[in-house]
Amino acid sequence: MRESDDGQRLRRRFSRRAVLIAGGQAGLFGLLLWRLRQLQILDSSDYRLLSDENRMTMQLVAPARGAIYDRIGRLVAEDRENFRIIVVPAFCKDLKATLAAVSRVVPISAADEDRVVRAARRQSGYFPVLVTEGLTWQQFALLSVLAPQLPGVRTDRATYRHYSHASSMAHVVGYVGMAGKDEVDQDPMMRVPGFRAGRAGIEKSFDRDLRGRPGTIQYEVDAHGRVVRELDATPSVRGKDMVLTIDQELQTIALRRIEGLRVASIVVLDALTGAILVMASFPTFDPNEIALRVNLERWSEVARDKDHPLENRALRGVYPPGSTFKVVTALAGLRAGVITPDETMTCPGGFQFGRHYFRCWKRHGSGIDVHQAIKQSCDFFFYQTVNRLGIDRLAVTARELGLGQIHDIGLVGQKQGIMPDTAWKKKMLHQPWYPGETISCGIGQGYVSATPLQLAVVAARIATGRAVSPYLIAKAAGGAEPAPLGIDPAILDIVRAGMVAVVNEKGGTAVRSALTIPGVQMGGKTGTSQVISAKNRGFLKGWEGETHALFIAFAPVGAPRYAAACVVEHGGSGSHAAAPVMKDVMTELLLRDPAAQPGFAAGSQANASSSVAAAEPPQ
Amino acid sequence: MKALFAEGIERPQLLLKRKLVLINWPFLLLITAITLVGVAALYSVAGGALEPWASRHVVRYCLGVAFLFAVALSDIRWWLRAAYPLYLVALLMLAAVIIFGVESGGAKRWLGYGEWSFQPSEIMKIALVLALARYYQWLPPDRVSWPHAVLPPLFIIGAPTLLALNQPDLGTAALFGIIGGGLLFLAGVSWIYFIAAVVGVIAVLPHLWEKLHDYQKERVLTLIDPERDPLGSGYHIMQSKIAIGSGGLTGKGYMQGTQAQLNFLPEKHTDFIFTMFSEEMGFIGAAVLLALYLLALLFITYMALRCRSTFPRLVAAGMGLCLFAYVFINVAMVTGLVPVVGLPLPLVSYGGTSMLTMMVGLGFVLNAHVNRDTRIRREELGPFW
Repeated sequence: MRESDDGQRLRRRFSRRAVLIAGGQAGLFGLLLWRLRQLQILDSSDYRLLSDENRMTMQLVAPARGAIYDRIGRLVAEDRENFRIIVVPAFCKDLKATLAAVSRVVPISAADEDRVVRAARRQSGYFPVLVTEGLTWQQFALLSVLAPQLPGVRTDRATYRHYSHASSMAHVVGYVGMAGKDEVDQDPMMRVPGFRAGRAGIEKSFDRDLRGRPGTIQYEVDAHGRVVRELDATPSVRGKDMVLTIDQELQTIALRRIEGLRVASIVVLDALTGAILVMASFPTFDPNEIALRVNLERWSEVARDKDHPLENRALRGVYPPGSTFKVVTALAGLRAGVITPDETMTCPGGFQFGRHYFRCWKRHGSGIDVHQAIKQSCDFFFYQTVNRLGIDRLAVTARELGLGQIHDIGLVGQKQGIMPDTAWKKKMLHQPWYPGETISCGIGQGYVSATPLQLAVVAARIATGRAVSPYLIAKAAGGAEPAPLGIDPAILDIVRAGMVAVVNEKGGTAVRSALTIPGVQMGGKTGTSQVISAKNRGFLKGWEGETHALFIAFAPVGAPRYAAACVVEHGGSGSHAAAPVMKDVMTELLLRDPAAQPGFAAGSQANASSSVAAAEPPQ
Repeated sequence: MKALFAEGIERPQLLLKRKLVLINWPFLLLITAITLVGVAALYSVAGGALEPWASRHVVRYCLGVAFLFAVALSDIRWWLRAAYPLYLVALLMLAAVIIFGVESGGAKRWLGYGEWSFQPSEIMKIALVLALARYYQWLPPDRVSWPHAVLPPLFIIGAPTLLALNQPDLGTAALFGIIGGGLLFLAGVSWIYFIAAVVGVIAVLPHLWEKLHDYQKERVLTLIDPERDPLGSGYHIMQSKIAIGSGGLTGKGYMQGTQAQLNFLPEKHTDFIFTMFSEEMGFIGAAVLLALYLLALLFITYMALRCRSTFPRLVAAGMGLCLFAYVFINVAMVTGLVPVVGLPLPLVSYGGTSMLTMMVGLGFVLNAHVNRDTRIRREELGPFW
């Protein structure tokens, strides 16, 4: 039988090849033995020398972290010199006794001592552990003299992170902290003593860029840990510098302006490019308090504060936009043709829809056209408009203007806000959309919510008619202009004129906040949004039950360059609490006109400071 | 099942008692000896203590022996049936890792539910061998080298290899490659294919290299030459070489190894245990351990040669290839011959999953040995079922 012949031939072939493979395996094991012979017999004395008499130790050299500048090159975060004590547990005769000796010169807290002892147990004894830092020059000098008598103890000059204009920039820039255990396990670089990783803000988002690459120094050390000689060194590479679009001076002014309020935030954009010039949020904190050594007490105080100073309201505060949203409704209504520029209505002080009566904040009477409606913030007009328009068409325009979406500016934790429509409600709440819900959405209440950044984007897009997107990291000049929005310029003109009237025409809701600079005007829209709804009535008392005050603005009127949004949490009315803040910030902004100044060239400084990188030998 | 195989397999019924007699007891003794070396090494790594590793290693070995017997005494017909489904399940799980996998240390390798997690690639090591053996059991011998008969096994090997590369887990990918290629060779596929494969790879490699991005090239280069990355694996390899080298001919003595204790070999109880062992026991100790492994491999080759049917023959040989690949790659890695890929030393390294996989694999070797005279006729075997 042919088949069984083949089978037999295959089995013989298997036998031959199996023997061949077994031979090959034996041969490769021979290769391993040859390698072991090379290591353990031929070169053994070299390795024994390395192992027994002189132990090699590699020290990681922390790289300088990249600096962070504001738009014109003011330093906001930099590395500064820091005197530290480091201990290499393996070289200490008795770690606790050594620490006790050190503490006679520099006090070591019980927590620090505990941390060092635990670190020594957790990782190899040859990894240096940071004992304490921020020494004075005297302490540093004294310990440097004593160090040779204390095996394992080393002093060194490292750097710490210093933040200039700390509290005004804190939310944007963020801060750094010591690497946690997980990070250390993931990345050996984190074991560099005192190495810091970004914890929040730009420091966190761009940690990889800012960090740089650590260098190494290989020492030959004797049994007592004293350096015999340096074998090999790879210089560290400085991290990349970052240039922000923020104008630090204006940011500080803006923050000082909202400081007296309990919780407030303000965002200013370059309306033509989207560059974020100001992003201030109050209350804030001082990252310097935790940059050098963690002041745990102060830190937990900040972290537990019920006004949440760590939160960047500009990105993470989500508010019903209230009447500021009326500009969106107006645009959407004019676009869809459900209202015309000439149509006038008579405001009876409220709007009956089915069995529900929606109040207007005032009985505006007759002759209310869209211009007047924006200027006087007539709720009735927009109830009518949105009722004819429907939620879905409103949502399309609102999203085109930048609501209900995350404008990724590179910071983590940005909130999306909500621009509801029927599909959204179906998906999120598994319920159909009720027509009655449309009405309150028309004046920016109901499900509608937005962050101050989004509101600033809305202002910028209306001001320029372009799809401006905000950004925080300075770009090289000469980028493409944002694409135009698909909205008829004539319609935008009508809405802008309404916004100009809000501030500059008699009867406008923010007429008291008109700019006093001759020949320069700003346009804006007030908003007073309710926090009390049918559901939470009775739960929010006092401050928490107050309305939010909002204001969005652009300036100068003829050729808008700046767009902004300001939110004062539970601040009362938009015209009383938010518009005056905007007036003051806009005034300072227009007087300084930062957009006209040339930006800071990131390259020039960065090249000069990273000469270390250039000196690195090619590998 | 019975109806199909009643005539297909001669002597289909082996009594349990008979099976126990047929088991290769000396081989089991050899495995135990290798494991005991591991226990001793783990005892030393812990600084002369049973906790935390040595005692648990023993427990895991005992559990492994139970699995080994369960597999060795099971009915081989069952595994013929299960080979393809098992392979498919393993492949699906490997693919699922991409979507649901848990990331650890920059690579997605684990599938987990709650506290319970495992690496599908471990199951694949067994499933790959079974699937290939099953294929050649079915394939008529005269067609072994037909081009279209070579394609299915290439797919069977290629799919898990690519998935492992994607994780990325180079060690496992290499393991799949070695097992698969070796089995094709043993199954009798013509030399021409292997020569063509080698020539093809050599021809394509430079073009592929050109297409890579700079950072990708850098990553590959670091893999080949770890000294390029002195903070990562390069440092470990340097330390490992110092430890092994300083052991010398006779070693520093049991529990006397300073280098492994003092320096940071992060995984001295798992992947780098051979380093520790060679430092303390020297060249002689290392050679003895390697000899034990080689002896086990020769045993397996002998057992494969004794099998009358293709399926058990290839199953035994495949598990042998797996054991060899583990040992060779691990030792070559810690001695700096090949890049660090993170494979344990079988039976010696501490680790539950690898111990279990290895014991199940060896269970299959013994199963093949028990069924050495069982004749499986390919006519009764469907292509898939």
